[in-house]
Amino acid sequence: MSTRTPRDDDGLVEGPPRDAGPSGVIGAELLPSATGEFEAAAHAAPVARSQWALLRRRFFRHKLAVVSLGVLALIFVACFGADLFAPYSNTQQDLLLGPVSPRVGHWLGTDELGRDQLSRVLYAGQISLKVGLAVALISTFVGTAVGAIAGYAGRATDQVLMRVTDLFLVVPALAILALALDRFGNEDTTIILVLAGLFWMYAARVVRGQVMSIKEKEFVEAARASGASSTRIVVRHVLPNTVGPILVTATLGVALAIVTESTLSFLGFGVQPPETSWGNLLKDAEGTVGTSQAYLIYGPGLAILITVLAVNFVGDGLRDAFDPRSERRR
Amino acid sequence: MTSAPLADPATPVLSVRGLTVDLPTEQGILRAVDGLGFEVAPGETLGVVGESGSGKSVTALAILGLLPSSARVSGAVELHGRPILGASEKELEQVRGAQVAMIFQDALAALNPVMPVGTQVGEAITVHREVGGAELRERVVELLDVVGIPNPAERADQYPHEYSGGMRQRAMIAMAIANDPALLIADEPTTALDVTIQAQVLDVFRRIQERTRSSVILVTHDLGVVAGVADRVLVLYAGRAVEVAGVDRTFYAPAHPYTSGLLASLPRLDRRARRDRRLHQIGGQPPSPLALPAGCAFHPRCEHAEVPGRCDGEGPELREVGPGHLSACHFPERVPAPETVER
Repeated sequence: MSTRTPRDDDGLVEGPPRDAGPSGVIGAELLPSATGEFEAAAHAAPVARSQWALLRRRFFRHKLAVVSLGVLALIFVACFGADLFAPYSNTQQDLLLGPVSPRVGHWLGTDELGRDQLSRVLYAGQISLKVGLAVALISTFVGTAVGAIAGYAGRATDQVLMRVTDLFLVVPALAILALALDRFGNEDTTIILVLAGLFWMYAARVVRGQVMSIKEKEFVEAARASGASSTRIVVRHVLPNTVGPILVTATLGVALAIVTESTLSFLGFGVQPPETSWGNLLKDAEGTVGTSQAYLIYGPGLAILITVLAVNFVGDGLRDAFDPRSERRR
Repeated sequence: MTSAPLADPATPVLSVRGLTVDLPTEQGILRAVDGLGFEVAPGETLGVVGESGSGKSVTALAILGLLPSSARVSGAVELHGRPILGASEKELEQVRGAQVAMIFQDALAALNPVMPVGTQVGEAITVHREVGGAELRERVVELLDVVGIPNPAERADQYPHEYSGGMRQRAMIAMAIANDPALLIADEPTTALDVTIQAQVLDVFRRIQERTRSSVILVTHDLGVVAGVADRVLVLYAGRAVEVAGVDRTFYAPAHPYTSGLLASLPRLDRRARRDRRLHQIGGQPPSPLALPAGCAFHPRCEHAEVPGRCDGEGPELREVGPGHLSACHFPERVPAPETVER
């Protein structure tokens, strides 16, 4: 309650209810303690906590999620603050130095042009993270909307929406992506929109299934019985009950988008130099496997791996935090 | 918010006429409610009793238009003389919760598990009125206090699973009375509770009703609850009304063999225990609503039935057998008087 911001603060109660006494509240004084005491004794009132405090507490009990959140924060700060933290600029070459293996000063080594791999990984992270987050946000939003409408409305609406979803699912994503990027250019905005357009179906299916099961719950019927409209029921009662699966899908979406973008860049369809993503760096390091320069793989590879894992763990933690019932299990 | 002005106390809050509900099932059309008619006067508590499948809950849901869209509902339901059966969803949303509120049997299932109870009570209000901030909060805490939830200010921030069964049912009641509805429909509100909590919840009911003078339809299969709370009793059997009477007449002078059978099968503390006597039971099984017996649906189980004869030939109509006492029995005079159904 305390954290909820109702729609308006200026709405007034329209007069007191009938015969409800001066207080306007039915029987404010009418309940003697007799009926309450029995249970009061059995359930000593716990300290009131706000919803966010509860969420925080539950999340912070999930150690792996907390560590992952820290790691993610670190990666974010390092990447987006690369101008401050990166030892070299993104493009600074040192042809005299050439490729050197990891050492003090060049923690991840340098490539053939003598560019510092750590700096490149940090700058490339800006693109990869941006794409990952934006794609996950957009596709989850679209997917949730489609899934919720399909699941709650049912019947023809459901059929139409889900057949469209199926259609998108059977589309060969990489081919479409390559085509679209070729057609609309390799701007990161294009990549984000196209990826989001190809990934929303997963969220839609998950949300639809969840909504279909939750709309049969009695509390939804109770909400209908209290006069709530369909929109209100979906937004206030059904979707909050699907937050767990939605968050998990969203985090998976982040990971999937980062990996797909890397794949695209690796194949040469992603962002184009001089802009780089982790995928570009992997592509650049492609030929080094088995040679003395194989260390170039580790930087971008580990960056992708660690980011994707951390995002997933955070998703797990969030899911547990949002489910008040998880309190008992743990 | 409140109901229309109750100028004429004789105007029923709710009037149901010829309510018939057909539910399609895989085995065919199931007639769950058949030509049911009754009225609820202002401030009155109508107990609706009957065994499982007698159409009690379906009736309750039909009044609010909450049946699945596959159900076919006919007849008339009027709230303060205004027809609400067949009204648009938009109109029904204005009625539900504001003029007619419903209390469900399983409060744990009927409360949203991921929303604090106070927020849910607030929802019940904001669905119908623009209230916000401190004012809403205050009203919520007051409502929780009214239904006897201890430490309502702290309890409002807790989730349903942190409440006990009795408190959940109280919270449901708080939600139901949030907009001071003219009619409360309680669908087995105490069935899931143990007896002590039952008594407390019924007490909350009684007090709230005394105060707000809302009418109540109490759907239950518990005759004890009916005896304690109801003013009048409507007995349903196989989707039809078999007896309507004031609560005293129902218990002292039942005019339908089904009612008297139900009463006789109640275990009683005030009757001398006799080891050689088993508790009365009504023989046979409730009929399948897909294949109702001809004539009176109760005749195969009735000890007084005239078979072959009127009972399996002709369906009895509900007719007056005493002041305000209706019975759908061809031979109400054969129904055993309270010498076997002591009270």
